[in-house]
This record gives sequence, structure tokens and C-alpha cells, in this order.
Amino acid sequence: MLKKNVVENTVLAALGTGADFAEIYMEETKRNTLSVVNGRVESAQSGLDYGVGIRLFFGNKAIYGFTNDTSEKNLIRIAREAAAAARGERVYALQGWRKMNFSCRNPIRIMPDEVEKRKKAEKLFLASEAAKNYSSLITQTRANCLDVVQNVFIANSEGLWAEEQRVRSRFNVEAIASSATEKQSGHLGPGGSVGFELYEQIDVEERAREAARIAVTMLGAKPCPAGRMPVVIENGFGGVIFHEACGHSLEATAVARNASVFCGKMGQQIASSVVTAIDDGTIPNGWGSAAMDDEGTPTQRNVLIENGVLRSYLVDKLNGRRMGAKSTGSSRRESYRFAPTSRMTNTFIDNGKSTPTEILGNTEFGLYAKQMGGGSVDPATGSFNFAVLEGYMIRDGKIAEPVRGATLIGKGTEVLQKIDMVGNNLARAQGMCGSISGSIPTDVGQPMIRVKEITVGGRG
Amino acid sequence: MEKKAFQKQIINQALKQGFSDCEVFYLGGESFEILLMEGEVSNYENSSEAGVSFRGTYKGRTGYAFSEHLEEESIGFLIEAAKENSLLMSAEEREDLFGGEEYPEFHGYYPELEQVCVEKRIQLAKRMEEAALNGAESIASLDYCVLGMGKREVAIVNSLGLDISYTKNFASGYVSAIARNGEETKKGSAFWKGTDWADFNPEETGRKAARRGAALLGAGTVDSGTYAAVLDGKAMTSLLASFSGIFFGENVQKGFSLLKDKLGDKVAASCVTLRDDALLEGGYASVPFDSEGVAGKNKAVIDKGCLKTLLYNRKSAKMDGVASTGNGFKAGLTAPVKTACTNFYIQKGEKTLEELLGQMGNGLYITDFMGLHAGTNAVSGDFSLSAEGFLVEKGRITRPVEQITIAGNFYALLLDILSVGVDLYFAAGAKGSPSVLVGKIAVAGK
Repeated sequence: MLKKNVVENTVLAALGTGADFAEIYMEETKRNTLSVVNGRVESAQSGLDYGVGIRLFFGNKAIYGFTNDTSEKNLIRIAREAAAAARGERVYALQGWRKMNFSCRNPIRIMPDEVEKRKKAEKLFLASEAAKNYSSLITQTRANCLDVVQNVFIANSEGLWAEEQRVRSRFNVEAIASSATEKQSGHLGPGGSVGFELYEQIDVEERAREAARIAVTMLGAKPCPAGRMPVVIENGFGGVIFHEACGHSLEATAVARNASVFCGKMGQQIASSVVTAIDDGTIPNGWGSAAMDDEGTPTQRNVLIENGVLRSYLVDKLNGRRMGAKSTGSSRRESYRFAPTSRMTNTFIDNGKSTPTEILGNTEFGLYAKQMGGGSVDPATGSFNFAVLEGYMIRDGKIAEPVRGATLIGKGTEVLQKIDMVGNNLARAQGMCGSISGSIPTDVGQPMIRVKEITVGGRG
Repeated sequence: MEKKAFQKQIINQALKQGFSDCEVFYLGGESFEILLMEGEVSNYENSSEAGVSFRGTYKGRTGYAFSEHLEEESIGFLIEAAKENSLLMSAEEREDLFGGEEYPEFHGYYPELEQVCVEKRIQLAKRMEEAALNGAESIASLDYCVLGMGKREVAIVNSLGLDISYTKNFASGYVSAIARNGEETKKGSAFWKGTDWADFNPEETGRKAARRGAALLGAGTVDSGTYAAVLDGKAMTSLLASFSGIFFGENVQKGFSLLKDKLGDKVAASCVTLRDDALLEGGYASVPFDSEGVAGKNKAVIDKGCLKTLLYNRKSAKMDGVASTGNGFKAGLTAPVKTACTNFYIQKGEKTLEELLGQMGNGLYITDFMGLHAGTNAVSGDFSLSAEGFLVEKGRITRPVEQITIAGNFYALLLDILSVGVDLYFAAGAKGSPSVLVGKIAVAGK
């Protein structure tokens, strides 16, 4: 995307300031989004993101700048301006170029930017119609689709020269059910590193009806009782509990600053022995998958926790320097606007031995969180909070009445120790994860799990 | 390519290729940020960006496209993509462009701010860091210590002759300190945002963060039940921000708000006046005009408890047969014009915090809500959020409180505000509130 001499001259200018590492990241990203509200197209947008980010390391210090003006003159100016904040003692040499050859992890069948928008709109109309027809209680529907074709180029002073095209597609559907006084919503958003073939893999009408079913069920639900109780969390998006309560605290972004509860716990039992957790950026066509991370390091499968024992953090180059650890291929960023840092890709709790029937059957009383909403965590304290989108009480080992408005709060360290049963029905679900390097696609996932005791917030 | 020439060239070509009208919205910016760690600059960022968003009417329908590549070769892409997008839209939703009106005088750009050299800015950040580290005995380390500057430039040119622009800039400092006592960890933060470095007191900002963190140590939960509560400015602002969308005309029209047909009705306690003021002197979100070129205004959304107006862009205003309130904003290049607040805040009352706590007697003083993006239902107004703060007995703070969840409904909470404080607080996002006393909230603890 950039001429070789422009790349070379920019990297040399950066090294000229005394930086011991210099990196150029460039992207050209085509985006299409289409949104249908109540059966009518509300917005159709297309665009081109285009820019360069330049990063320099001076030991453990990082300098970052970005621009859309990709002229050689401007790139060299950005590289040199770094000297205002840092200066090295000597000038390091640029290594000879090594062209990276990545195997394609995410083969694309139908390039989404070559599909007529009319065809995409048809899928959204079908979904809207299906959600609306599910029940007369459904008063609003929203459906949207997005597709992204991102061309990334990365070169650094170690001689790395890497390129990758990343294609992603996602479909979202939301249904809102209303009574005279209440509104409740249901939402699903499947996607992957796939092209328009996504719509052959999923049935948009079936997903729309499922979103509508959640909204209608929750409309009739009573407020969830508050207090401490056992909670059974269903597979798929239920994995957000691990993502929030543990995943973020395993990112070197937090660990290197000594701001994570899991600092210095490598090799120790941090979770109950039934918990094995994995972050895997190599899953074919996974929503969070890519051949390389945003520093050009090949992605890999990282076992984070094995039978409850902490085995690995998620590490990027800069925090790796600070911690004395090697990159785990986990450095990610939303776009050239962000310096990359360690992030999750496709993160999940691995299958255990219990069946869902056993888990529910062994729970006399508690909350069954069938669909989780989003959540957040403070990596410094480990406190998290997340919403239960679709919940039921468990009575005498059976799923009983639906309850709404429940939230789960607690601390990651405690909840990990309190997971006492792990099911065998692993599934993943797609989300967008926000952190200091922007909003990026990540998969969460898990089989059904049971947490012995957790604080449930609610109004019942 | 030069910005204005580029904007005009796109317009000329689009008109030639069948657009009956069109507009090019330019958004540019510069940002500077340093992050300190243990007395050293650990991250440094200096950036510039620019892009254009095109919209225009093609065969009676509105089409959009954007590009960050401001060179001639992008023009063809912008026009073709906008054409294809327009064909999906219905003719009724056509957005008519605005030819302009009288604009208020606007002072948002302070060149002196940029003249303070990088070394001096680093010094200010170091002073803030040191003050935070020494601000309380229990401070173990800092979570973040950041100093930044930003500049933003907006220019709108359209085929109706509109040609307006503004530039604004600001500086900010943010520090977050970690207090530790044994296994217990608490965080306190403070920030400053302004347009004159002389107004920045790095020592005061640092100490404030440290004291906030330290004060929360030794926290425990409380019994589940119903409590009276004083929500401090920060906590109330975060709730207000989460539910600001209920005041948007477009959300009411689409059924995403329960304020339909409530104009003139009592929707809050009579001590509550809520404003959206685009012209607020020194306001973080002050602008002379919105993304559609409509002049900024100062509106009471709720006046002494009564709903006076919703917030409108031109499209939603037309639907309700009213004038735009100047709240049509693009949340960046890629976004279409939606509704957004400017400086959006609950007007200050008369009581000091001590007086509010005294009026409450027994209850909770809430200083922070967590998990706002997950624990709130923007449609129903329901929220269920983990919170921290202090237990108040007989009007006095007795101990810190954590691991509690507060559940309620935002519509009901507005009506249940008993008193409004004098201590108006603004968050970095330009939403604000003083401390408020609320009659009752449901708390889940032990």
C-alpha cells in the first residue's frame, strides 16, 4: 500500500531519533452498514477509512502518531516529532526485510463489498417481518448488517513486512415488546470473519423470531429478587462473564502496570479446578480471528487457565518488554487511530464434563441466566457488573418463572473460584469489546456453567 | 488537497452526475496525549486526522458516503456509493439541506493553549502524578495519569450556498489513583478540562483523586432494602448521560422513549430544571452550529419539573412540526445526523452537600455507578447498577460502602428528587449535575 522507499525512509527517520524500534501500520478499510427500523431502511452508509499509525519505542517508552496524510514528507515529520518527548542514546540499524507469509485462516466465499446492497436489504426486511409477526406484542424491530474489508500493512525496523486482508460480516436483530406500561427487548447479533455467505449459514428469520421470543418472555416476567444465590449461566454469550471478570485482567495492558488482580499469580490456582480457559485467534472464520495480530505477529491458541491454574497472560510487544515476556500474538487495535495493545480474540471457557440437565438438576434454587447482556469490569479492583437479558428462577432443579432486570455483580477472583460445575455444550457468540485500543470484534464463549453463589441485583 | 477546494470540487461533480443538491461535511482534528508511569512519559501520542462526509439528493432520495482519503481519486467513490445508498432509502425520508441562518458569535479557539511547549506539559503531568501519589498514605500506585490536548475543526459547504466553519480546542488532565489496604483495592479519580493552562492546578487534581480513593478503603456492603440516597454530581451525571436519549424527539417518535405526549406535563420534581445549552461560556460541548448548520441555542428541557421541549434535529423537528433545537449532530464521519446533547445539565440548586446529607438523615451517599452500558434499559428507564459510596447516619458519613446494587427507574427517580445541590459538576462529555437527594432507591447488599 505504501512504496518501499517511503516505508524505508520513514523507518530510518524514526530510528534517527534514537528509537530502538519503529513500526508503520497502514490500513485502507471499506465499510458498508445498512439499518432497517420497523421494516424501513433507516440508514445506508458506505465509506473508506484510510490512514497510517507510526509507533516508536525507546526502551519501555512508546510514542504514537497517526494521520490520513500519507505523503512521505508528512510521515517523516511525524516520525521525527517524537524527538520532542524522547531521545535515544544511539541510532539502531534497520534490519533487512522479511516478507511474512501467513496461511489464510478465514477463506471468504462471497466478497461482501461486491454484493448489491439491495440483496442485503432483503435479508433485513425478512428479519423485520419475522420478528414483527412473532407476536402482536412486538411493537418495534431493528435489523442491521455491516461488512468490513480491511487491508492492513505492517512494517517494522526488525525487518517485518506483512500484509493481510480481513473481511468481516455481522447481522444484528432487535425486537421490542410493549405492554401499556412496559417495554422489553431481545437482541441477537451473529457474525464472523466471513463474507456474504454468512446469510447461508444463519437463518435470519429464525434469529429474528428468537429475539422476539426473548422480548415477549421478558415482558411478562416479574422483577428478579435480589440477594446472593447460585446462578447457572447458559452457553454462548454467557461467556461474557469470563471475558469481563477474568479476560481483561489477564491482558498485559493491565498486568504490566501492576493494575491487575492476577499480577504475580502465574502457575497459581486462580480458578476452581473445573475451569480451563482459552484465547484462540486462529479459529477458522472466527469473529475475532486473523492470521496476524496488529503488530504482525502470527495469532495463536493461548491456554490462559488450565484446570484452574494460571498459565498465560495476553501479551503485546510493548507490555512484553515491560514484563519481560514474549508476545502471544494478542496485540490488537480498532484502527490506525489507536496504538495496539494486548486484547482478547476468541476467548472461551472450555468444555467440562457435566451435562446441562445435571447442572440444572443439581440446583435446588437459584437464577438461570439464559441470555446475558453486556458488562464491564475494573481491572484494578476486579469488580464487574453485567446484565441478564433473559433470566428464570430455578426451583427444585427445574427452570421456573421468567424474571427481568437482574444484574450479576462481584469480583472476578471470587467468581472464578466459585464456578463449581462446567457443562459440555461449548458455544461462542460475537461481541464488540471496548478498551484503550478501541472497539474490536471479539468472541466470548463457554458451555453452561454454575456459580455456587453470586450477588444478584434486582427489584423483586 | 486543500479542504475547501476539495469540498467544492465534490459538490460540482455530484451536481453534474445527477444529484439535485448536496453537502460536504468536513471534520478535522489534532490530538496530543501523554501518559505518565512512575515519573516517566510511558506513552506519547500526537496525531492529525481529517475526513469528509458526503450527502445529497439523488432521484429524490438522500444518499450518504464518507472518505478519509482527501484526494481527487476518492471523489468518484463518494458519488457512486452515495448514489447506490440513496436508492435504498424511501423518498419520504429525504433530508432537505439547510441554507443557513444568523449565527452567534463563537469563541472556542485559544491559540495560546498550543504555545505551551511539550516539556512544560510533561512537567504539569509530573506534578499531578506526584500530588496523587502523595495525596494519601494508602495510595499504592496510579492507574492512569494523562494529560492531553485536542483541536477540532468543522466546515460545512453545500449547494444551497452554506459555507460555515469553526475551530475549537481544549486541554485536559486526568489522574486515577489506586489505594490499597492489605488485599483491599479502591480507586479514586479526578480530572480537569479547560482552555487556559493557568486554570489547571495539577496538585489539587492529584490530591483530589488520592483522597477519593483512600476514603473508600474499609468498605463493606449494607443490608438489602430501601434507602434514601444522595447521588453526587458524578453519579447523577452518569445516570443522566445513560438516559439522555429519552429526551430526543426522534426516540419519542420511534417509541424508544416513554415521554410521548408529555410536553407540558410534570416529569420531574419541581426542584429540577434540566438544560441543554450550546452557548454555555467555556462549555466542553459549546458550538455555534450543529452538524446540519442550525445555530446553537440555550434551552430548558425541563423547567421546574415540567417538560418544555424535546431535543430535535431538522428531520425529527419537521415530523413534530417544530423548529430544530440545533441538536442535529454526527457522531463522527461515519454516522448519519442523529440527535445529540450539547452542554446537558441539571441546573444547580441552593443546598451544600452537608445540607443535603443533613436533610436526608439516614441513607446512602452514592459517589459512583459501574456497568452503565450493561445495567440500564434505555427504553423502559430501568436500571440495576453496582455502586459505591458511603453510609450516612444522622446526616453524617459513617463508613464507605461497596458491593451493592442499586435498582430503580430513571423516570421515577426524576420525580423523586427532593432537593438539588449547589455543587454543579460537569463530566468530560459535557453532561452535568449537582448532587441530588432522592427519596428512595432499592439496594441489594447482603
